[in-house]
Order: sequence, then C-alpha cells, then structure tokens
Amino acid sequence: MGLPCGTRNFKYDTDMAILRTRTHWALFILLLAFVFTLPLYLPNRWIGVANLIGITLVAATGLNILIGYCGQLSIGHAGFIAVGAYTSAILTNALGGEWFMLALPASGIMAGLVGLIFGIPSVRVKGFYLAITTIAGQFIIIWVINHWGITGGFVGIKVPYATIGDLIFRTQASQFYLIMGIAALSTFFATNLARTRVGRAFVAVRDNDLAAEVMGVNLFSYKLLAFFIGCFFAGIAGSLLAHWIGFMNAEHFTLTESILYVGMIIIGGLGTTIGPIFGVIFIRLLDQGLLFLTPAIEGAIPALPSGFATGIAPMLFGLTIILFLILEPRGIAHRWVLFKAAYRLWPFSY
Amino acid sequence: MAELLQYLITGLAVGMVYALIGLCFVLIWKSSGVANLALGQLVLLSSWFTYSMLVQAKLPLWLGFMAVILFALALGWIIERVVLRPLIAQPILSLITVTLGLGYFIEGVVSFIWPWSVAALPRLFPKEPIHIGPTVVSQEHLWVAGISLLIFGLLSLFFRYHKMGIAMRATADDQLAVQACGIPVTTIFSRSWMFACVLAAVGGVLVSSIGGITFGLVETGLKAFSVVILGGLNSFGGALIAGPIIGLAENLGGGYLTPYLWGGIKDIIPFIIIIIVVIIRPYGLFGEERIERI
Amino acid sequence: MTSKKLMIAVTLCLALIISALPLVSACASKPAEAPTKGPLKIGISTPTTGPAAEKGSPMGHANLDAIEYVNNELGGVDGHPVEVMWLDNSYDAAKIVTIVNAFMDEGSLMYSTASSKMMASSMEIANRAGFPGLASFSSPILYRPPQHIYGQLPDYGDDWGAFASYYMKNVWKGSGKPKMALHLLNNPTGFGARDAAKASAEKMGIEIISINEHTATTISETESLNRIKAMNPDVLYISSTPAPTALIIKNAYELGMYPGMTIGLGHASFTKALIDIAGADIVEGVHGVFPTVNWGDDVPGMAKMTEYVRKLHPKDEGNMDYITSWAQSLIMVEILRNALKNAGYDVLAKGGPEAWEAIETQGIHKLNYDVGGLHGPAVYTPGDNRLSKSLRIFQIKGGAITPITDWIDAPLIKFEEFDWFGK
Repeated sequence: MGLPCGTRNFKYDTDMAILRTRTHWALFILLLAFVFTLPLYLPNRWIGVANLIGITLVAATGLNILIGYCGQLSIGHAGFIAVGAYTSAILTNALGGEWFMLALPASGIMAGLVGLIFGIPSVRVKGFYLAITTIAGQFIIIWVINHWGITGGFVGIKVPYATIGDLIFRTQASQFYLIMGIAALSTFFATNLARTRVGRAFVAVRDNDLAAEVMGVNLFSYKLLAFFIGCFFAGIAGSLLAHWIGFMNAEHFTLTESILYVGMIIIGGLGTTIGPIFGVIFIRLLDQGLLFLTPAIEGAIPALPSGFATGIAPMLFGLTIILFLILEPRGIAHRWVLFKAAYRLWPFSY
Repeated sequence: MAELLQYLITGLAVGMVYALIGLCFVLIWKSSGVANLALGQLVLLSSWFTYSMLVQAKLPLWLGFMAVILFALALGWIIERVVLRPLIAQPILSLITVTLGLGYFIEGVVSFIWPWSVAALPRLFPKEPIHIGPTVVSQEHLWVAGISLLIFGLLSLFFRYHKMGIAMRATADDQLAVQACGIPVTTIFSRSWMFACVLAAVGGVLVSSIGGITFGLVETGLKAFSVVILGGLNSFGGALIAGPIIGLAENLGGGYLTPYLWGGIKDIIPFIIIIIVVIIRPYGLFGEERIERI
Repeated sequence: MTSKKLMIAVTLCLALIISALPLVSACASKPAEAPTKGPLKIGISTPTTGPAAEKGSPMGHANLDAIEYVNNELGGVDGHPVEVMWLDNSYDAAKIVTIVNAFMDEGSLMYSTASSKMMASSMEIANRAGFPGLASFSSPILYRPPQHIYGQLPDYGDDWGAFASYYMKNVWKGSGKPKMALHLLNNPTGFGARDAAKASAEKMGIEIISINEHTATTISETESLNRIKAMNPDVLYISSTPAPTALIIKNAYELGMYPGMTIGLGHASFTKALIDIAGADIVEGVHGVFPTVNWGDDVPGMAKMTEYVRKLHPKDEGNMDYITSWAQSLIMVEILRNALKNAGYDVLAKGGPEAWEAIETQGIHKLNYDVGGLHGPAVYTPGDNRLSKSLRIFQIKGGAITPITDWIDAPLIKFEEFDWFGK
C-alpha cells in the first residue's frame, strides 16, 4: 500500500524489508550521512542541542514501546531515567570512567528492574489508574535518591567522563557520536521489535487485553516485559544524560519532565517508530527557539511591559502544543504518512 | 494522647484541602472523561486573579469574590470552546495532552501579567487558632473543610437530581447514546468546565490564603491526583473521603515514622498508599468498576 | 479541508521560523552603532520562568538594568561596551547545559546564574572547559574543592554559621547547650544549612535536637512542629523559601511555640513576601540572616540602583533579590575591568580558554571591590571561591526588616575534609 507503483513482492524477505526500493536506500544512507556529519558544520552549542535531542530520543523510544505499542500509560518516566543516571554515576564514580561500557548496560538493567516493580500494578489496572502508580513510582524513586547516602543526597553527585578504551568523550562533538550511535541503535531495535512476536503481542494487549489473553498472550509477562524494555531505554538515556551533564541532582527529574515525555510521543505520533523522532525534535527545537526568542524580542522592542518577554516563551510553547493537537490529533507521524502518499501519487490526488 | 489527637485533627484539616481540589478534577472526569493536567495552573491563575481584584484593585471582599467567580466561569467556557471542543471524538490521549499544553500556556499568561510571581492575599480568616481540647487547628483549615463539605453536598445533589447533572453523568458513560437521546453534549462539556474552573478558583483562594501565591500551587494541584486515584476517578464521595485519608496518613506517618526513617517520609506516604490501594482495589475505594466484554 | 491544510502549513512555517530565529537574531542583533572599542561579552542566565520565577524574574531584570547603567553612564568598561547574552533557563537542568554551550560559543568571557541549582547543573561543563562562572546563591558543592565556579554571596551553610554565632553571643542566656531544631527545604537550600550545622554545631556548643524537612508546597507543618515542640527547643532555624517559611512560623504561632523561642531564618526566605504571607504581627521578632543591604540604606551604590529600578522595573523596588543581582552585574563588570587592566583587550578579545584563564587569574583572583556597599566586599582569598563572605543579622521589627548587627564574616568550612560530605 505505502509503496511506489510497480513494486512487487516475490519473496517473503522482500515483503518484510523496511527499505524496499533503491530510492529508499539512497535516502536512508543520505540521512545517516547527514546526521553523522552534523558536528562538521554545526557550532558547538547546536551539537549540544543535538546531544540533548539524541538522549531524549532514546528515552522517548522506550516510552513509546510502553505507551504506544503496549498501551501502558506511564507518567513516571523521568523517575526511571533518574535510576539509570544514578546507577551510571555511582558505578563510574566507584570504578572509574573507563567502566562506562559496563555502567551503560547496568543502568539500563537497573532501571528496567525498578520499572518491573512499579509495573506490577499493571496486571490489575490500566489507563489513568496505572499512570498514577507510575507517578507514585517517580516520587518514591526521587525520595530514595535524595536520602540514600551513596547517591550524594540533596547535594548531588559528580560524574566522570564516559570512557571507552582510550577514547574519552570530552567534547560535545565526541559525545555526539556516542549519543547518536546509541540513539540510532535504539530506534533500529524499536522498529524491529514491533515486527516480532513480542511486538505483535504488545499491540494485541494494547488494542484489547481481554481478547489478547483469550488468544493465548500471557498478559502478566508481556505487560511486565513492556515495562522492562521501556524502562531499560530510560535507564540508557539516564546514563547518557549523567555523563553528558557531568553532575547529577535529583531535581533534574521532575514530574513536569515526565509529563513532557508523554506529550512528546503523543505529538510525534503514538505507536509508530518515526513518531518519537518527530516529537522529540519538535519539542526540543521549539524549546531552544523560544529560548533565543525572548531576549531577541526584549532587545528589539524595549518598551514592552516587563512580563511580556518572560511570559511569551511558555505561552508560545503551550499554544504550539494546543494548535498542533487541534490541527493534527494523530501526531506528526500521521501527517508524514499523508505526505508520503501525496508525494507518490503526485500529480494525482489518489 | 494529645499528640495523636493533634495529628488526627491536622490530618483531617489538611485532607479537606486536598479533597477540595480533588473534587475539581473529578468533576471534569465525570462528565467528559478528560484528565485535566492543567488543574494546578488553573488554581494558580485564579489565585492571581483574586490577588488582582482584592489587593491591586482594592475591591471589597464580596465584590472581589463575585468577580473571581465570573472570571472562572468565563475561563471555563473559553477553555472548553477553544481548546477542547475541536478535539471531540479524537483519541483520548490527545485530549489529555492538550490540557498539558494548556497548562504551559496559562503559566505563560501568569508570568506575563503578574511578573513578580510571589504575593500574599489579605488575611481572610482570623489568625487565632481554634482550640479543641488539647489540640489546635487553624481557622483557615476549618473554613476549607466547611466549604469542601458544602460544595460536595451541592455537587452530589446536582448530579443526583438536576437534569443537567444526570445528563452529565450519562455523557461520561456513553457519548454516542446520549447524543442519540438528543442531549446537547457540547453544552454539557462546556458547563462541566465552567463548574470545574469555579471549583479551582475557590480552591485557589483558600489554598493561597494558607501559604501565599507561588508557582508551588501548580504542584499542590498535582497532589490532588493522588486523592482522586485513591477515592476513584468518578466519585465525589471518594474524593471527599480519600482527601482526609491522605491527610491522616501524611500526618500520622510523619508524626510516628520520621524518627525511625529518613526525613520527608511524610511526603511519600500518600504514594505508597496509592500503590497498595491500586493493587488491592484497582478502581479506587469508591470508583465504579467497569465490566469489560470483548 | 483546504483551510485545514493551510493552517497546518502556517503552523509548520511558524515552527520553522521560530527554530530559525536564533540564527537570524545572532546575525542581526549586533549593535549597529560602531563602538570605538570592541565589546566585552558576558553570559547571564536566570530562571525567569518556571518554578523558581519568583526569584528569577526580578533577578534577571536587575542583572540587565545594572549592565545598562554601566554602558550608559560609565561608558562601559574603560570604553569597551559590555555585551550581554541573557537567556532564561526556566530552572531546567537540561536547558542550562545548552545555554552554557551557547555562552561559550558566542565568545562570552564568563557567565553567571542566579540559582545554585542551575550553576550545579552546568558547572561540570564549565569546569571541564575552564569557563569561569559566578552564582548569586551558592551551595558548598559548587566550590568545594574550588575550581572555576565562584560564589557571589556566602552560601546557605554560612547563613547558619553566622546566625549560630550571633545567637550564642547575644541571645542565649541559659546554662548548658541550647537546643536547636532545624526545618529544611528538601533541596540544597535547606541541606546546605544542615551540612554546616553537622560540621560545626558541636564546636560552637549547640545541640541539634531534630532535623526536619518540608516541601516547597507544604500546606501544614503542624505535625513536624508538634514533634519539635515535645523536645522543648530553644531555637528553631529554618532554611527555605518565603512561602513555606511563612507557613511554618504561622503553625508555630498556632501551636503556641512562638513567641517563646528564637526563630532564625536563612537568607533565601528572609524577604518582604515572608511578612506579607504570614502577616506582620505573627513574624514580629523573627531573626534572619541576609547578605545584602536593605532598600533605602545609606550606601554609595544605592542611589543609582534606586534610580534605575524606578525607571525600568518599578514593580521590583523593594525586592531584595534585585539588589543581589544588581550587585552581581557590578561585580562582573569589575572583574572585566581588572582583567582588562592586567591582561589587555587583545587577550580577552580572542575568547576561548586563554581569555577565560585571563579572566580568572587576572580578573577574579585580583578582585577587591566594595560593590558600592550593597553587600560585603567582594574579595578573592586563595582557596576560597566565595567572593563576599559577610552577612548581617536582621530582625523583623514593626513589620520591617531591620539590621541589628554590622557585617559578620562567615568562617570557611572545608566541607571536602568531612567524609560525610555529599552523602
């Protein structure tokens, strides 16, 4: 359906392939080449923004598996990111930055395990009730971090550079390759997960869990698996975040942050692989754009009332989200599908 | 003994504050099934508006409060008409996210109009506390408790007997069926948002008379979530009982557990209760259990 | 359908424009009138929106107003105009990292933040690059051990130290050790005071009987105060922000604990908002520590500040945080002047690590500036990255915050020598 005219499948392999035509491949390689050469032509600060986008993308991809594919609403994602960040911070502080390769998966697994604990109620509840247990999870996690000695408590904890072998990730540009590499891997994993037995079971649980159970999908294990995978991604993102910022404090991980993550994947488009990418880029760039808009306005028109420049950023941020959802409630991914179809059929309308 | 009594009284009083804001959340959920994430911001905005009326414009109290109520009604109408109406029949998650955007927008409006961002309302209630036996409770908390009870009574009666109230409950249950019966669904949504905004305004005035107007009000609004989950998302009575339960748990737990555990246990206890309740009674204490069919 | 598509196109365009704006503004907003001498760039970030806006908003105004004063009336720094890149960090940790990157890219010579949290979130990026930073409100983690981050004012732990020594000298008349209870906000503001108390209470002869914490959104602290009351404290020290502090004092009043004991406050909460929220009659007699002078005090720097606040942000007059940030900008200008004199403009104009090092070694390390008397003198002592170390004790008398002592120097506590620090 979503393929150019004349593309036929003769083998199962070709039917399953994500990239079907030569144009697909060419575009895909071009895109990858473009992304991975970004540090060559971006100034340092925009590489920093790209790093933030990459980290957010890993976390959002995990949340998308949990909410978008498996239908388990979680509003405590920042808490699970915190688990990952602190695991990595504590491990690399104790063992040294060169143990990053151990700390990275460890923080994913740790966050996944903590996610399992707060995912247990999902067996009994769903929808907004489940969301609240994840919110509770977030508050409890942050409380533990603030009071448990080895986390640095309220003061916070310094995190050494990520180091792999002789490679020390000091500069924004070097961290860019680390972060983007992992972001690309996780997107690859998420895309393929959706096409496996597990992914299909997730979708079945999302669409109708009773029917799924009747068909032999073990609800308990699949829901918990979704929590584990979703929070594993959060943990990985947390580890990257810790090494990127270099200093961790529990105040990074607020409930607002968690809600914003949900907002990102909904704006991008739930239950699609491309959705989180769009959503994350959209929100983070909007955020950055508004950051520079405020002083620009204040500089250009100094006669404005003092509240104007400060209020305009959150106002525009909120307004964009509202307008976006009103005009495209299915997210940017849906618009992307429409665009691709229109592009293929052009100049005909269908 | 005096200690225990003090914790009980304070817990009840604080719980009623949570209950009041929780009611506001339930109202919207009950009639349109939308989880209002902008609740805290609505509380914040109406508190600032009250400040404008009472302190900046120096209106007498009764006139000021009238203005606040009118403002809240208008606010609710506008929010529903502009933000939520276009999203009718869209995925429910989009509706919830749009309230998130609304929250940011309102925060912007607040820092736009009131850029100095911390203020106090004039003292509404006498400062001398009421003594009950060996314990004390502040008048503010008593007033909040009284007003929550009153609002709860009114709302229950309204939803039980008034035509509009019954229509609201029916709408939450099945929008299509209600439309088929000729009930104007859009009017119902509009009304419920107007009422909810009035409740948020009342809550805002009372809470900010206790602790001043700050951005912290947004988080106080979020705290109401825990109340409604405990009580059940669509039960006024639930919110009214869950509020004090949370308040009591906070105060008793804080009072007796703090010496043995890490500090700040008080703020975590409500959430531990939530997890336990959700595992034992997934639809809250008084929520309505949905029977599902394939 | 067409109109819908149009709307979407328009929204997308808007989003594009917004995201492209920084590029445009970066190119277009350079001052058109060619100055005779090259500019000196600094970066300033305040939490003007978001959860800390109550402090960040006036502080941002003050930072910029002071720079405007320097540029308009003093002709910049020896003829070099000070160019500010000001960005709002919304109290968001991820955002401040991107902001500091932007500062470094734009050739800023140093940067400042208002809050300690924002400085803490960005300090590793800055320390790794050697980019000097100055935080108005600070906590020991920022400069223990000292690196490239400096504190403008004494930290929350120093508040406790100054109050405790004043209390022991002037208020405590009983025998034995006074019993002190702490009530702390659950973040570094509160726990800075706890660390100081942990480090030096015993030495000063004070017994800490209870450490309590509260959230910024608390609506009743009767429970914790009731527990404290049972222990018969002589003094309660609160390190928090205005709204919760007002609530705690109100609850203490209701429980009959106050008046009857001494209450001491850290400087984060000791503002006019506290009196407004709690009511002047309730907070009468409360002690507090504050690192700056009051509005209307007779110091050389007051006249210009009052003139500018009236002209540019009349709403902020009377706000104590405004004084702090006005002084912060003046200190940064003084640092620039020192560095300019000792290192020359050529070094500074290059930007990057060399200029940053010059700012630190030639500017900050040679700093000896009285800040127009607005707060204690900003002087660098080797091994101590706090610039001003002086505090005054105030008391609320007749609804006004009145100074009752002269400047007291807070002693340096070497927190990194305690093995519990950061645990």
